[in-house]
This record gives sequence, structure tokens and C-alpha cells, in this order.
Amino acid sequence: MVNLTINGRIVQAKEGEMLLTVLRREKIDVPALCHHEAVEPFGACRLCTVEITKEDWNGYSNYVTSCLYPVEEGLIVSTHSPKVNELRKTILDLFLARHPNSPEIRQLAADYGVFKTSYETVVDGNNCILCAICTRICDTMGFHAISTVGRGHGKEVAPPLHQVPPDCVGCLACALNCPTHYIEYTFDNNYLTIWDKKFELMVCSRCGKKTITKEFAEYLSKHRDIPFSYFEICDECHRKELAATMGQITSWEREA
Amino acid sequence: MHLDNPQQLIDWHDKIIAKQKKIKKKILVCCGPGCLANGAQDIIDKFKTVLKEKKISGFTVEALKETGCHGFCEQGPLVVMEPKGLYYTKVKVKDVEDIIEQSIKNDKIIDRLLYNDPQTDKKIERYQDIKFYSHQKKVVLNNLGNINQCNIEDYIANDGYQALSKVITSMSPQKVIDTITKSGLRGRGGAGFPTGRKWATCRKVESDTHYVICNGDEGDPGAFMDRALMEGDPFSVLEGMTIAAFAVGAKQGYIYVREEYPLAVVNLQKAIEIANEKGLLGDNILGTDFSFNIKISRGAGAFVCGESSALMKSVAGEVGEPRAKYVRSVVKGLYDRPTVLNNVETFANVPIIIRKGASWYQKIGTPKNSGTKAFSLVGKVRNTGLIEVAMGTTLREIIYDIGGGIIDDRPFKAVQTGGPSGGCLPASKLDLPVDFDSLNEAGSMMGSGGMIVMDDLTCMVDVAKYFLGFLVNESCGKCVPCREGLYQLHALTVKVSEGKAEEADLEKMEKLSEMVIIGSLCGLGKSGPNPLLSTIKYFRDEYMAHIRDKRCPAGVCRALITYKITDACTGCMACIAPCPTNAITGKKNEMHVIDQELCTKCGACFAVCRYDAILVS
Amino acid sequence: MKHNLDKLSAIFNRYPQNRESLIAVLQDIQKEYHYLPEEALQATAKTLDVPLSKVFSVATFYNAFSHYPRGEKIIRICVGTTCHIRGAHLVQEQLENRLNIKAGSTTKDLKYTLETVNCVGACSQAPVVIVNNKYYGHVKVSDAKKLLRSK
Repeated sequence: MVNLTINGRIVQAKEGEMLLTVLRREKIDVPALCHHEAVEPFGACRLCTVEITKEDWNGYSNYVTSCLYPVEEGLIVSTHSPKVNELRKTILDLFLARHPNSPEIRQLAADYGVFKTSYETVVDGNNCILCAICTRICDTMGFHAISTVGRGHGKEVAPPLHQVPPDCVGCLACALNCPTHYIEYTFDNNYLTIWDKKFELMVCSRCGKKTITKEFAEYLSKHRDIPFSYFEICDECHRKELAATMGQITSWEREA
Repeated sequence: MHLDNPQQLIDWHDKIIAKQKKIKKKILVCCGPGCLANGAQDIIDKFKTVLKEKKISGFTVEALKETGCHGFCEQGPLVVMEPKGLYYTKVKVKDVEDIIEQSIKNDKIIDRLLYNDPQTDKKIERYQDIKFYSHQKKVVLNNLGNINQCNIEDYIANDGYQALSKVITSMSPQKVIDTITKSGLRGRGGAGFPTGRKWATCRKVESDTHYVICNGDEGDPGAFMDRALMEGDPFSVLEGMTIAAFAVGAKQGYIYVREEYPLAVVNLQKAIEIANEKGLLGDNILGTDFSFNIKISRGAGAFVCGESSALMKSVAGEVGEPRAKYVRSVVKGLYDRPTVLNNVETFANVPIIIRKGASWYQKIGTPKNSGTKAFSLVGKVRNTGLIEVAMGTTLREIIYDIGGGIIDDRPFKAVQTGGPSGGCLPASKLDLPVDFDSLNEAGSMMGSGGMIVMDDLTCMVDVAKYFLGFLVNESCGKCVPCREGLYQLHALTVKVSEGKAEEADLEKMEKLSEMVIIGSLCGLGKSGPNPLLSTIKYFRDEYMAHIRDKRCPAGVCRALITYKITDACTGCMACIAPCPTNAITGKKNEMHVIDQELCTKCGACFAVCRYDAILVS
Repeated sequence: MKHNLDKLSAIFNRYPQNRESLIAVLQDIQKEYHYLPEEALQATAKTLDVPLSKVFSVATFYNAFSHYPRGEKIIRICVGTTCHIRGAHLVQEQLENRLNIKAGSTTKDLKYTLETVNCVGACSQAPVVIVNNKYYGHVKVSDAKKLLRSK
């Protein structure tokens, strides 16, 4: 364990643990848009930047992204110093110029007192903030169906060759974890469409409810060693079945 | 012949020397970047055919050397004749027969090919007597103009591989690191981190494998020192890397070369193959149990890959996005293994330091900045070329003594160092000694060594806009301050250049710059605002002229200038055809007129006018 | 567009078939076909066992790669700092006007491709234009026509 000082308060943490994890545990509110527990820290949005120093740094301080900074003994952290606040405001101001119509960005910017961008609004700005949570989660899931494409200001998230992604199974992990809800998907009867790819949904053989896509079920069955038949029944019916089995067990015990 | 022990290297060296002593006269044809672009290859070919045809006694094709960059690119293609050092400039294919007939056969000097000193208007016969050369201190570039590129015999004849042999036979890895540390060598890639300390840290990290990487991704526009070294003296880079590998315990090395340098790739590949054949690289080097392999990794056009963590990703076949370096790459680098990454010039210095000793090296330059630094001296300076000076030489000496001052004797305005990460320094800083620390303090940086001289016809707003535009294209796009911040800074400089900015925009640019510096993930973003901040700092008046007076004093920013034809016009009609919008009208022998409505200010007329009759205002 | 992909296997055979070879393989494909045909990207993904999305990501990140067929004559304008302050952008504009395309694109008849390059290290000859790998130094705005005709 190491001791660090956060906003004047002494806090204990495991050595090597990322600073943002400690801040979250200590209920200190630091914004972060590219952070997600399921994937490695990335350091792209820079909103979680904090000011750090140490007693022997002779008054020198540094700005680091807390999501990527391993804590160490004697670290002195301020999460809302004037410079840090100014940086967050600037980042949100820049975000507003690029994504003026994103409700999530507008809300977060408003929280920091930025209501209108002071920069030139970017033509063709969409709501993708390039946090890459979607592509990283897709990699973690093992699909590698989408990636970032291009670079610099023109970078985007897209399927390979800008075509229907062959490796997408319609798991929705990208869309459901998008902080600005940019990735679109639609349900239409027995079909799910995402990244212009249309998937047939599995139907519960008990209740008729639609569940996950057939491709996703096949993938899980193949890679997670779950029998495919498991996915022919929906979660709810599985639980009902479980309750029934539990009931049988108890009645059997009673009889014994 | 494969060298199986260090003694065989010594024997080979002696044999080469004995052989080379027989060659009395040498013709050195510069095949550096500048001369090649000017047709040096045709000259080489011509020499070869003529020499074969003529069969001059005591003179064979072996005496013809295709050397690396001799330095004085402005005067290229260059041909030097040793042992006298007779120096011919701006040589053309048609001069080759003359050179052979007169200078080789009959020891006569061809007057028209000599260098003419513009200050004294006198012809100079030997290059050593030309100011461009005499004010330099050549250490790391010494082989370049003197030996055949890619010829290991030439390299060994010039004491090549003596350092590696010394290291393997008589030094411990720690001793090597101590020598480099004591020499005071600092990374020539720009930041100036002490090389010995880097190696020492890397050696200490326990791992199944260590890597040595040479950064040949010379991305700073206007810099070509590393290109010249990789092309002209590739063995020195290989030897330096091999010594580094011995010191840190690496078995695998990579050279990352930008693909814009195809000849560098070819020559390095050739050199690697030769060194492997000779037992100076690969398994069991010089018969010892030390093994080290080098692989070339070609960059594919991404400036950000000059950043170490991005470079390592690129070597691994990935997108060159940098990562946060709170854990440094000497600890966790390529494939998460401890990795030493130095640039080309740094590695090329290593064999020299080992051979001549740390104390010898330390005496060159200044106490905290020992050794020399190579620069590409370019821009509006009279003598452009590749130069090397002792650290601590002033900008004035470089630009005026070596560089010969500004073209057309125009006023000096600024010198740009450090590429897109550096800054522009004004005339008041001309007496600044050139070293890592002084340049940093002045708001610029050493960078890899591009030195671009600017005159009064260069607009500082335009320069800042140029670099920001460059970085917007080159940003990897991962982190927000760099991706969006530099984009907005660029948009603001465009606004200034169009005369649409307000005074408040200057402050806005300075504030946003500060945030981009503290907020960006890697060095590209963290140093990206430097060209802007340095020009605002030293040339505020010029910004104010654009903002307040809607005027571009240098006559560059299009929205603020007009082209007019003055009465110096002779009516020669030369400017009429080049005008893309047919904005110029006029009859023969009558003064022409530019229709301002149609004029797009492309400068085509200005470029063709031989009478200085077109005025930019 | 269908391509003769026979040459691909020769390219793949030059390198160990792993992720580290990806950029080199793409460079060789680019050299062979002057751009990266879609089928070639798909074949690369399969051969090197790298997800297609990653191949595409790398292929679009680096400037060296083109995704459309390029012209017979490839004109590259160096826009390094030295070339810039010596007027490279004016030369660029002349060429753009004459070909009626922007840098980074190819004429419809596939005769010319106009590109910019960040610095080729021939700064002493600035501004520099490279036509099919032949260097032209000290280029003037009025040289545009000559450059287009050059071989």
C-alpha cells in the first residue's frame, strides 16, 4: 500500500493502481469520456487530467491523465486546480466546436460553465468523439469488426473498406457503450441492423421473445464452450426453469 | 571472407590500406541528396564509360568513388580530386571528358569549374580553403565526402569497426556505458537526453530480451542529415547500434527509415548484408559469443512515428498512435520489452567516441553539450548544404561564416530550428550558442538539425500557419488537445493571414497553445504550438500588422497583397501566358496591366518578370 | 476493378507471415499496383492473419498508401519548410489549375496524379518537384507546363 494526498486528504491505495481508479473509489468526481472498465486505459479525451507534484519536486508540478498514471508513495494530487479546470473547459470547448449537437457533450460542458464554443464550429461535425471505446471493446470481445480509419482531424470509426463489416456479429457492445450514443442500430421485427449489416435474431423457443443474433450465439457457443441450445431459450425462461428446478430440489429434500 | 576473430579484422585492415596506397589519384563524385537531385548519377555513369574507354595508365575505375554528401549542396554536383583536394562545382555531364583529359591526365586546373568566392570574386582551387568548409568541424560526417557509400573496405580503411573490435575484446558492457556517459553524448534526435544514462537504465531492466532501435524517421521538413548519414556512411550507424546492443544486452535491432528515403533503405540493406557476410553483424560477431541482428523497418509516411512509442507501434505493424509514457520505453518499449531508441546521428557518434576516447570527445563543444552537431543549412541562405559544427557555435557563425549570409544580401529575419516542434529565432538571437539548452531557453529547440534561414520576404504568420497545417495533417488524431486544438490554432492563423482576426485572437491563440501543451498526450502535441508561440513572441509587430493594418509586410499572405505592374515594364509579354486567369492584358512594347478582379495572386507573373516590374504590396 | 493478383504471393513470400510484416507488405503492394486494391487488402488480412479492420486501419493511417488507382505520371510536390518558403505552394497551385484537380487526386483519364510530400531531403534544390521519381530542383511557377510535359 502507498499513501498519497488527494485534494489535501491522505488516501491509501495499492501500488501501481491507476490514479483514476483510486479517485473513483474515493468518490472524487473527475470526468472521463474514453474510460471504460472493460478495456485498457487509453488517455485520449484528457478530461481526467490532474495536477500532480511531490514534496521533493521543488514546487514543480506536472499534468497527467489519471486513467494512465500508476500511483506511487508520496504523490500529491489536485483534481480541480485552476489549470486543470481550465484544461477541462478548453477540451469541452473544443468538443463543443466539433460536436455541437451532442446532448451528452453539451451537458458536460455546461457543468463546467461552457455553454457555447469560443472556437470555429467544425463543418460536418458529428457526435463521434473518437474515444475509441467501441473499437477497443470490439477487439476485447474478439471480433475486430470495426476500427479507427484515417488519422488526425479526419479520423473516424468505420468498418473495414467502409463496407458491411464481415466480422461483426451484432453483439451491440459498441453501440451500448458509446458515451454519446452515436452508433445507430435498429430493431425491425426479427432483425437487428447495425453498421448496415442485417442480423436475424434468435427467438426463444418457450416464450417467443427475441434474444441475441444468431451469429453472436454461434460465436459464444464456439468460443465460450456453451451449448448452442442454451441460446434457444431466453434469459427469462432460463431463470424460470432454474426456479422450477430449485423447487424440485427442495421438494425432493423434503420428501427425503 | 568471414572474420572469425578480431585479429583477422586487423589483418584485413592492413591489407586494404596497402592496396589503397597504390591508388595515387582519386575522383570523388558526391552522390548526396542534393547532387543526386541535380544529376550526379549521370556524371558517375559518364565517368565510368569514359574511364573504361580511355584506359589511363595508373588509373582505374577503382579510383572513382561515389561518395556520400560532401556538404555544399548549393554548388552541386560536386567532383573532388584527391590527394590535392581540387574542387569542381556545378559539374555537368559534358564536363566529364574535360576533367579526365585535363585534370586527371595532365594535372591541369579547369578554371570554369572552380568555386568563385562571391566576397572576393576570386576562384578557389581547394575545398579546404573555402569558408563554407573551413569554419566547420567534421567528426560524424567525416566519412561522407571521402569514402564510397556502402563500401566496407573504404569504411575499414578509415578505422571503421575498430571500435566494435575494441568493445568486444577489451571492454565490459558497463565500461562501454561509462565511456558514453563520460563523453557527455546527448541524443541527437532533438531532446538531448544523455545517451549513457538511457543505456544504463535499459541494461538494468531484467527481461528475456532487449531491443535497440535506430530512429531514421527524419520527419522534420527541412532536415536531411540523417538521410545523408544513412546513405553515405551506413556502416557507422550499424557499428554504433552493434556497440549499443553489446552494452545493453540486445540481440535484435531495428532501423526505422522513412520511405521518402528509398536510397537510404537500399544502402542500409546492402550494408547489413555485407556486415553479416563479414561476421561483423549477426551470429557470433568476430567469432565471439555476442550476436546481434538488424532488421530494416520502413516508415510509411507519418511524422508522428518519429515519436518513440508511435515508432515502436509502427515497427510492430500497427497504427502509429503514441501511448502515455509514464512508464518509459527504455523500461517497456517494443513488444513491452526494454528498448534503447536513439537517432541515426547519435549512433554514428558512438564508434568515434569509443575509438578516440571520452575525454577527446568531451573537449569538443561546451561542457554540458559536448561534441558536434550536424545541420542542414537551408532556406534563404547563400550556401545551402549539410554542415557540422562544434556545439556552442553561434547562429551568426553558422549563417554568415559558413552560410555566406542571406541570398541577394537581403536582411536576415529569422532562423527556424527544430522543425514543427521548434521555433523561429530573430536577429537579436544571432549570437546565441547553438546547443540543446540555449535553444530551448530561447523558445525553440535543437530538433534533429534542420536550420531554415528566412529573410524579410518570409512572413512569420505564414510560417506559423504552415507548421500548424503540417501538424494538423500529421496528428495521429488520438487525443483531443492535439487533434482539435491544433486544428483550431491553425484556423486562427488562417484568420490572421486573411486579415480577419482581432487583437483578442492573439491572446486566444496563446491561451489555447498553453492548454495544448499541457494537455496533449505526446511530444507532437506538446511541442506543436512552439512555432506559433515563438513567432508571436519575437514577431508580434508582424501579427499586429496583419490584424490592425490588414497588411502583410513580407508580401506573402494572399488576402492582404496586390500585384501591380510598374513603369519598369518593357511590354515583353512574358507574363501574359503564365497567368492562369488571363488577368494580364497589354500589347508588345506597351506597359501591361493586371485586372485586380481577376487576379488570384498566384505569383506566376512575378516569377517570370525579368525586369522587376511587378510590385507586391 | 479486378486485378491480376498473381504477384501478391511473391510479395507475401518475401516476409515472415505475421503482424510485423504488415506495413512492408502493404508498401510492396503499393509499389506493384501504385495503390492498394481492395482484394489485395483482403488477401493480406488472410495471409498475415491480421483482422481486416486492422489492415484497413493501418492502410488509411499512413500517407504512403493510396486507395484509388493512380495516374501514369505521378507528380509529387515537396512541401517541406524550405520548399514552402521558396514558393512550393504557388507551384502546387499552378499544377492544380492546369490539371484541374487538387493535390492528392488523379485526373479522370488516369494520366496524372498530383501529390504533395512532406520533405524529400533535397532542400538545397528547393522548391523540388518529383515526376515519376525524377527530381526537378529550383522549380519556378512558370515551369508547370514543362513539368507536365516532362518524361
